[in-house]
Amino acid sequence: MAVEPTDVAAVVLAAHPHALVVAALGTATSALRLASDDGPHLYLGGAMGSALATALGVAEAVPERTVVALLGDGELLMSANGLWSVAAYRPANLVTVVLTDGLYSITGGQPLPVDPCFADVAGALPGLTAARVSDGGNLRDALLELPRPALVEAVVRTGSRPGPSPFVDPGTVRTRFTAALRATAAERQDTGQEVVTCTADR
Amino acid sequence: MSGSLAWAAAVGDALADGGVDVAAYLPDSRLQGVLVRLAERGVAMRCLTREEECVGYAAGRALAGGRPVVLMQCSGLGNSLNALGSLVVAYGIGLPLVLSMRGTLGEANPAQVPIGLATPALLAALGVPVYPLRDPHGGDAASTVGGVLTLVQRAGRTAAVALEPELGGGRGAH
Ligand SMILES: Cc1ncc(C[n+]2csc(CCOP(=O)(O)OP(=O)(O)O)c2C)c(N)n1
Ligand SMILES: [Mg+2]
Repeated sequence: MAVEPTDVAAVVLAAHPHALVVAALGTATSALRLASDDGPHLYLGGAMGSALATALGVAEAVPERTVVALLGDGELLMSANGLWSVAAYRPANLVTVVLTDGLYSITGGQPLPVDPCFADVAGALPGLTAARVSDGGNLRDALLELPRPALVEAVVRTGSRPGPSPFVDPGTVRTRFTAALRATAAERQDTGQEVVTCTADR
Repeated sequence: MSGSLAWAAAVGDALADGGVDVAAYLPDSRLQGVLVRLAERGVAMRCLTREEECVGYAAGRALAGGRPVVLMQCSGLGNSLNALGSLVVAYGIGLPLVLSMRGTLGEANPAQVPIGLATPALLAALGVPVYPLRDPHGGDAASTVGGVLTLVQRAGRTAAVALEPELGGGRGAH
């Protein structure tokens, strides 16, 4: 069994409606744009291999917000070293969600040469929790229940990418993301919503 | 010891005085004194695993309102080009970079030379200006680092400081 990438993005947004999401290029960005109606998230139109590091930086800058790194499996293979940095600094507000489809989908579906076993790898690192899930219910449970920082490897249906989305305009993405960050921070202060705390700057 | 060099303390102080709140870096012997000073000044220190990761991390922190600096040996510039071009420059994120120069004047290690020589051209190709520091007494540190921070924080540009060999420190084999 496996889920659709857009459903993964939708479950992430339902579980963490106020999360700031950093989406890697490829299916991660297409799925999140669809599921969020092109919400003000940080879509990386390029910079393959930089999304996890960027999410870690965002997470440490705003420890009161939930930050989600939404990554393709090829993306994380290119930047798996970043998992060791997550283990080193352990932001309690960071959740990494990997869309494991076993492919470099958007470049034509070339297979990854190995099962990346991201959940096993992350679970072996100190300070990280991890789960591999293949349906929406388990995904939601993992997102809500795993102590953070967490990695959730979502096995998505091969060949189920939602198709290409129009290229993102970097300036627009940046402006919307920073505005959303400020606006939601103010809104959350007003409504006194639940705030996830983390030990700052270890 | 590089940790007690005047210029290194002056660079660390100029960064801290300029509001830098986190340093993402990979170690380098000439950088060591700067790193020690930044930590003494209460700047959060993030030793990451690869310079490309430092650039991505700093980009995220800057977008979320932080004031990061990235410090690396210039070899690491080679490791970070795509993050600089496709993320930092493309998204208009201003970042200060501090590059410890190898492969230039007085270099004994042939493996360091090609990227050292290419560093100014690589930065220029991305439109990132680089300003050298050469005074071992640190006389040029405050004005140069301060000027780079102004370019970053006010003009929104990415700009680099090059720690040149004339500073001394870190002239070993690493
Ligand atoms: C540095 C770099 N290398 C290669 C590419 C080409 N490329 C773009 S997307 C992609 C595949 C991404 O795979 P994955 O992260 O698994 O996402 P998917 O396409 O499967 O959704 C590749 C190889 C690139 N854009 N940048
Ligand atoms: Mg993939």
